[in-house]
Amino acid sequence: MFNRTAVAPLEYTRKLWMRSWVGLTMLFLYAPLIVLMIFSFNDSKRNVMWKGFTLKYYEKALNNDSLVEAMVNSLTIAFLATIVSLVIGALAAVMLWRFRFPFKGLVEGTMSLPIIVPEICLGVAFLIFFAKVDWPTDLPWPLNLSAITIAHITFCFPFVAMVVRARLASFNKEEEEAAKDLGATEWQAFRDVLLPHIKPALVAGALLAFTLSLDDFVITFFTSGPDTITFPVKVYSMVRFSVTPEVNAASTILIILTVALTFIALKYQGVKGISDTH
Amino acid sequence: MSGPLQDWKSQKKPFAAVATAPVFWLALFFIAPMTIVWLYSFGQNAGPADINISGTLDNYKRATEWLYLSIFLKSLAVAALTTLICLIVGFPVAMAITFAAPKWRPWLLLGIMLPFWTNLLIRTYALMALMGTNGYMNKGLGGLWEGASWLRTLVGMQPLDAWTPVQLLYNNFAVVLGLVYVHLPFMVLPLYSALDRLDKSLIEASLDLGAGHFKTFMQVVVPLAAPGIVAGVMITLIPALGAYLTPDLMGGTDSQMIANVIERQFKRANDWPFGAALSFLLIYAMFILIALQSMRSNRVKERGDV
Amino acid sequence: MDFKTFLNAGSNRRAMLKGMGVAAVGFSLTGALAGCGEKEAAKLANGEEAKLNFYNWDTYIGETTLEDYKDSSGVDVNMTLFASNDELFAKLRAGNQGYDVIVPSNDFVERMAAADMLVPLDKSQIPNFKNVAPDYQDVPYDPARRYSMPYTWLALGIGYRKSKVKSVPDSWKVLLDSDEYKGRIAVLSEAGDMFRLYGKYMGKSVNGLTDADLKMIEAMMIKQKPNIKSFHEDNGQDLLLKGEVDIVLEYNGDIAQAMVEDPDIGFVIPKEGSQLNSDNLCIPKGAPHPKNAHAFINYLLDAEAGKKITETILYPTPNDAAKALMPDDYKNNQVIFPPADVLAKCEYAKFDPELQPKYEKAFTRVRAA
Repeated sequence: MFNRTAVAPLEYTRKLWMRSWVGLTMLFLYAPLIVLMIFSFNDSKRNVMWKGFTLKYYEKALNNDSLVEAMVNSLTIAFLATIVSLVIGALAAVMLWRFRFPFKGLVEGTMSLPIIVPEICLGVAFLIFFAKVDWPTDLPWPLNLSAITIAHITFCFPFVAMVVRARLASFNKEEEEAAKDLGATEWQAFRDVLLPHIKPALVAGALLAFTLSLDDFVITFFTSGPDTITFPVKVYSMVRFSVTPEVNAASTILIILTVALTFIALKYQGVKGISDTH
Repeated sequence: MSGPLQDWKSQKKPFAAVATAPVFWLALFFIAPMTIVWLYSFGQNAGPADINISGTLDNYKRATEWLYLSIFLKSLAVAALTTLICLIVGFPVAMAITFAAPKWRPWLLLGIMLPFWTNLLIRTYALMALMGTNGYMNKGLGGLWEGASWLRTLVGMQPLDAWTPVQLLYNNFAVVLGLVYVHLPFMVLPLYSALDRLDKSLIEASLDLGAGHFKTFMQVVVPLAAPGIVAGVMITLIPALGAYLTPDLMGGTDSQMIANVIERQFKRANDWPFGAALSFLLIYAMFILIALQSMRSNRVKERGDV
Repeated sequence: MDFKTFLNAGSNRRAMLKGMGVAAVGFSLTGALAGCGEKEAAKLANGEEAKLNFYNWDTYIGETTLEDYKDSSGVDVNMTLFASNDELFAKLRAGNQGYDVIVPSNDFVERMAAADMLVPLDKSQIPNFKNVAPDYQDVPYDPARRYSMPYTWLALGIGYRKSKVKSVPDSWKVLLDSDEYKGRIAVLSEAGDMFRLYGKYMGKSVNGLTDADLKMIEAMMIKQKPNIKSFHEDNGQDLLLKGEVDIVLEYNGDIAQAMVEDPDIGFVIPKEGSQLNSDNLCIPKGAPHPKNAHAFINYLLDAEAGKKITETILYPTPNDAAKALMPDDYKNNQVIFPPADVLAKCEYAKFDPELQPKYEKAFTRVRAA
């Protein structure tokens, strides 16, 4: 409350009103989640009123093979889709930012289409497409997730491209020219000058892509089969009937898993790296 | 700032390096599937499971009836309101992250993203549990009401009428709240990404020259963060326009949005050609807007203006 | 996370690649564990692998049914879930992705049979057909049970909270045409069901509504809309339990389950009559294990297995042999098994390709009004 050092004019985050704003926003975002986690311990089949504390739904969730499989599938798809989306999205952003070429407006428009197509339309499109090209449905894991992953990449990379482009708008071309004058090749200039600049956008884009993929329901529903079930699809069919504490327990487990994986990744990384700007 | 665009012919190899993957992917895994659906929009149902592509324009004619246009306009209004609220709420949050001490920044970013790694459906149900007639929000408000009533009796005034719960769910208010809840991080991330590169000395200079914080904000920060704002608005408005789970679950009897209608065509009504036509009208409209906007900004960039 | 390090230059790269390698190994290990089911399945005597893909509604099976089946036959049943008939239909329309047994409702059995999506059943592989009640052995939506076996049946009615209603709401009027419970009503969001019930309310049959009828009903719906709180998608019993609404249009099985949790809930089938539904077991065309599918359907129709399923889901069962094994409070439960005179006024909805799109379009207008 009372700052020990004087608050500099630019240290907005230390200002009280800013902190309250962020605090309230966080409360708004987290309150339902906390309710969800509390109710995962509820001893009631229908989970409408609090009836008592129990861990049995966690047991049920962890023993539910298909639920665990669904979680693993979702995480795998999200991971793979994020990596590929990052690459394709970043490349697309650079292509649009740097070059002038015929039909550029058209390409740009087309690239934003996956964002604006209603999900159900895209889902049906993939359903028919994979059926028509006879995409094999009995590949071993993880290749059987390929149809879903391809669909996810398709709607994720335009988001990445958009975020990276916003960042590129502030890139000073002269830095790149300077590097080239000093003898760097095109690739080296890209790698050592451009890439570090767009790092925050890559992080933001990756987080976006991961979230979109992990949570996608509609498109995954149409591209999944009996043995490629993902978490949102499984949960959707479970909660239509009633939201049992088992579903809450499974979600809590997934959150903890994702957080844990992120921590591990950050540990390797060095926590600073995620928001480095230089 | 970024300098003039290069012509692709002058740098064929780098161009090929960056352009091949995205274009190839788009062509194979997006344009091809969408073309099939596009063809369907010119077709008719021939029996419960077959579609006969007869080149008819009936679906489009039906899709431009006032019934569907009015639903579309209403969805646009709801999505615009959602985006506006996300922008107002999200901008300070993005600024807070940008100006935070470097050791806190990644945690704040993760803090914003974390709720969104929870399944949307479950999160929505949890939000609905809070907002229901007997949910905690109403209980909290009820408590405040009773407290106010008690205070009034203390000062000798008549107590307030008995508390009746406010209907927070199953109306348009709930839909907007739910949409804001879902789309907030999609606004915060691009804003952060753009604000991050902001040259802080410009802000300091502005403050030194005597402009107040608010004026600095409006005249220095916002224009410089403009590309981030545009990206954030696009990333929020367009998915909000196409949202269907949130209005479906949290909305009332008149909260139908265009995506719900489209979804119904593909599922309940089993009328894929009509659903395709509706989807594509939506797509054509947005496509034209985006293409116009990017052509305009390309021309601006080419002229070397900033 | 690791992704961005993948692109990052510098000395960190090697550490990151190592980290990614670890993650990749971790994923493949967990994948191998999860993919345990992908092991080489033994071949059964009937020549098929010991596997079955069962596409079912959620919580629509007994607690131990699948394990019991595995013990008795050695077949590993992989049950995946869907949440509505149109999802099932939309997914299977373009081709069967490997499902062996599905559970569509009666009008969808008709629709899928018309679209040639179902395999005619070989009754010689389903001797337990004799357990099925005579009323269900031949039904209008599947004459002679060519494509389907009954799993459960349901009737639509009004669920209500006893302490909040002035009198038992025994007419559709309360739900569909009056503002007595303004803002405390929830009805189904299924266009077809809604139009058909209005038809019943007006004294007509659920099938064969004319265009004039449709216009009249649409006007009535728009008039009633301000009194309705929500068009629910089959979670009406939850709305009732949570106290969001006091009367709701729902299936008797759902309300029976809710009544177990809250004795203040009641159910009634209105005096004008109602609509019957039935969920059925079918085999879609292109099923990879048709013989296993027949054997599984036969197992579900067994008396003991049927009893275990019914104990869990508490829906009315068309399996007389299973019903006989159930406790009296189930057999005599008026909600689960409405009296015969009431049932006489209930009909099955017929799949009508002409009317269905009209219902949908009109309902969209109602919702936009």
